Amino acid sequence: MTLTIALPSKGRMKEDATAVFERAGLPVSAIGNDRSYRGRIEGVDGVEVAFLSASEIARELGAGAVDFGVTGEDLVRESLPRADERVEIAARLGFGHADVVVAVPDIWKDVDTMADLGDVAADFRARHGRRLTIATKYWRLTQNFFSTRHGIQLYRIVESLGATEGAPASGAADIIVDITSTGSTLTANHLRILSDGVILRSEACLVRARKPAHGDDPRIEALMAAVRAVC
Amino acid sequence: MTQFGAPAFAADLARALAARETNRVDIPLIQPAEPFLDMAGEDLRRRIFLTESETGESLCLRPEFTIPVCRAHIAEGVATPRRYAYLGEVFRQRRDGSSEFFQAGVEDLGEPDEARADARAVSDARALAAEFAPGAALTITLGDQSVFEAVVAGLGLPAGWQKRLIHAFGNEQALRAMIARLASPDSSAAPDGAVAAFLAAGDAAGLEAHIESVMEATGYSTHASRSPAEITARLMDKQALAATRLSAASLAALKSFLALDVTLDRAAAALSSFARDAGLDIAAAQARFEARLSALAARGEDLATMRWRAAFGRPLDYYTGLVFEVAVGEAGLVLAGGGRYDRLMALLGAREPIPAVGFSLWLDRIETVRAGR
Repeated sequence: MTLTIALPSKGRMKEDATAVFERAGLPVSAIGNDRSYRGRIEGVDGVEVAFLSASEIARELGAGAVDFGVTGEDLVRESLPRADERVEIAARLGFGHADVVVAVPDIWKDVDTMADLGDVAADFRARHGRRLTIATKYWRLTQNFFSTRHGIQLYRIVESLGATEGAPASGAADIIVDITSTGSTLTANHLRILSDGVILRSEACLVRARKPAHGDDPRIEALMAAVRAVC
Repeated sequence: MTQFGAPAFAADLARALAARETNRVDIPLIQPAEPFLDMAGEDLRRRIFLTESETGESLCLRPEFTIPVCRAHIAEGVATPRRYAYLGEVFRQRRDGSSEFFQAGVEDLGEPDEARADARAVSDARALAAEFAPGAALTITLGDQSVFEAVVAGLGLPAGWQKRLIHAFGNEQALRAMIARLASPDSSAAPDGAVAAFLAAGDAAGLEAHIESVMEATGYSTHASRSPAEITARLMDKQALAATRLSAASLAALKSFLALDVTLDRAAAALSSFARDAGLDIAAAQARFEARLSALAARGEDLATMRWRAAFGRPLDYYTGLVFEVAVGEAGLVLAGGGRYDRLMALLGAREPIPAVGFSLWLDRIETVRAGR
């Protein structure tokens, strides 16, 4: 059986991921020219590398179309319902750090915790004639965090596919759920992370699709051990 | 066996509903999704079947009847009081059971005698469940959010706490956590320097002006949903609350109230002895509660066979008073559920307040009980 490893197709994520594999003694090379979307691992037969976008990698892992992938934990947990049943986080790779956070306008000085936000959400309709709105591309993570973890039901999600941090100032939404690495973009947009508003501390991970065929394939454990040894 | 199509007893049930002075209403299968998401919250999104129209409108397969029946009533501007009945398929993703199943029920809109309307809803639901699941040992449980609201008001708790408690009512875990938190010190961080100084000086006007000037300086004010006045008021409230704890007496009273669980024939006495022991004046709520019990007895219901559980509620903000359930068996399979939702009509755009109470029957579960007989 050919094993397929999906790696990010561009940018820092691509460089950092190939560097990890290199350190693990699994040098990746592109087939054909270096912009090719297919690759292999030098000196290892029966392993194919597919270069995909980070969000596609999460989806393909969920569908079991690839055996391994390097992608952000945020994308895995956002794209896949019951992620832990379908994939295994085999190693945390130490790059691509980003937190998924709940941020409110800094001037909401009375809102410091999710409990405060729950109070505001409960009253919002009566005061403003509509529900509290949250701009985010993280539907699933937001719903789990608000509904399951904090018992907040009364809000609406406004889908945002870019520049989410601008939504409160433009009036597109009241608050946001977004990723941040240093928090500087949030600060620049006069937003503040709630003190208990970190939904997920994400980083790039080596993720394995849980496939039955992996059980008796010694290459699986060997590959995970090699990567873990250098992270 | 998964069953498609209406259960065999549906035609008889439709006749039984018509005999209870109702107007049968037909509701389109395809519904705009917005009103459901707006009323029940974003969490509903993953439990309904959504699609989008060519013009981008969110549509869904009918997930329940109450909201569309109320919307149709408002749109047609029909005079009240009016009792609607429905019977049809609904579509919801469930962990157990099929995603398409039948429900039937009654929505009673605009009946000014609330005790009478409440009693009628409970008694219709009980009678229909008994008729169509014959021989089943039914458990009937009532709750009443307005009694809980009167208790928290009567305890003299700060307004902010009352709101939190009422909001958590119906979700027993959340309510217990909330009570525990109100009884222990507030752990939220102190606000930053400028705000803290205004708060320390008790200067609300200064604080509001400060917030307004920051909003203007940061270009946020044009689209600000929450005004400086709203933020200031909540900051002042929080400061007042930070110094207070739920007193031992209030905590004990809340706990003993929420533990009340008695048959309806003893419910009025249990509530009044609770109020006396806790030193609470909740006479108005007691009177409404007792009026409902009398109305139930007047309909010939046997109060000794129904229970009142003080902690029983539904955590949706349009339920305002009575909630009830008709269940069967050890596992408490719910055959019918209902309640009073006076706030829903206004939320859906009715121009004047319309009191409303209703219930729905789960036909697939009734079918299961019939099959097992």
